[in-house]
Amino acid sequence: MGALGHYLETQGIPTTQISLIREHTETIQPPRALWVPFALGRPLGRPGDPVFQTRVILTALALVEAENGPVLEDFPDDAPDVSEPAEDIADLPACPVSFARPDGQKTETEQLLEAFRQELADCRSWYDMATAKRGFSSVAYFPLQAAFQLFHDFLLDKPISLDDNIASTALALRLAAQDLKAAYFESVMVRPDVTLPDDTAFTRWFWQKTAAGEVLRAVRDKCRASDDPALKLNGKLLLVPMDQASS
Amino acid sequence: MARLNTMPEPMRSHLAGLPCPTFDTRPWVTGPPLSRRRVAIISTAGLHRREDRPFEGMTGDYRVIPDTCTAKDLVMTHISTNFDRTGFVQDWNVVFPLDRLHELAADQTIGSVAEFHYSFMGAADPGAMEQAAGRLAGLLKGDAVDAALLVPV
Repeated sequence: MGALGHYLETQGIPTTQISLIREHTETIQPPRALWVPFALGRPLGRPGDPVFQTRVILTALALVEAENGPVLEDFPDDAPDVSEPAEDIADLPACPVSFARPDGQKTETEQLLEAFRQELADCRSWYDMATAKRGFSSVAYFPLQAAFQLFHDFLLDKPISLDDNIASTALALRLAAQDLKAAYFESVMVRPDVTLPDDTAFTRWFWQKTAAGEVLRAVRDKCRASDDPALKLNGKLLLVPMDQASS
Repeated sequence: MARLNTMPEPMRSHLAGLPCPTFDTRPWVTGPPLSRRRVAIISTAGLHRREDRPFEGMTGDYRVIPDTCTAKDLVMTHISTNFDRTGFVQDWNVVFPLDRLHELAADQTIGSVAEFHYSFMGAADPGAMEQAAGRLAGLLKGDAVDAALLVPV
């Protein structure tokens, strides 16, 4: 971000920016920056708090009137009502994934996909209600069933067909993973049996208690084992967050 | 919180180890008071119109976001999986504060809002963004923008 500010200012455009990683901004020294102590992914602080967001944006914009620079100012406050991560998400519902089926007819992957299919069936109604309530969804390319089909086919080595605007299987898997998480979060927002105790609880719930999280780890592992460099990169970095990689 | 020294591993080491460019020059462009500035948002959140192309890699390209976009029109295809997207799902302003910018223009705190805004995908090599930034500067000048608000993710 800081380099972009430098490049644009060099070309004659006055810039001011929000900084999330102060150490990076200190090194790059862009013309004007406001460091904010907020979580990655939330540069304006807190969703649904327009008063606080306006304070942040105004503090950043005011820097264009500074007389000389570079300027690196600190925003004085944390985002309001940000709670420390709760240790326990035990009360949140979990999808039981059992690999001990008595019939022994299905592989572990098939059993995982079956648990995923059942979980999606539970999720679907809540997702549809959430979408109807808001009038739109953040899901971009892969609705729930399409995401299921893609992961199913990839894990079982079935042929994969892609839309014209999706250039590769690696890109499709990455986009479908993001869409799956967005759909789960949107469904959680309306489910009566899930109350997220803090801002990080959804991530921990998704990766530690859902079949979807287990499926994405299985996709990651298969990508890692691939000879395709794009799939290998997916497996290394782009499907499972670093802090959830070993769970 | 996004303080490196309070971040858990392995994120802390990953972010601390990212290469950051340094520059010999310190460009500084002045302009009128904020109340007369025309403001554009430049995001690095990998945002684009729903019907536009997803971000695919580290090529430093950008997408154009018309000022008429609303929350339902915009999606995020940033390549990283290591930041929280639930804030954006709840309220796009927490990443792309276009509603806030329009409010500031309506009460004349800023002069006006640009006709177009832009988004890069921030995991790209900063050097790869340099050429695109040159083209972008021409577009911003054509839109009479004299304050670019850069917002990371």
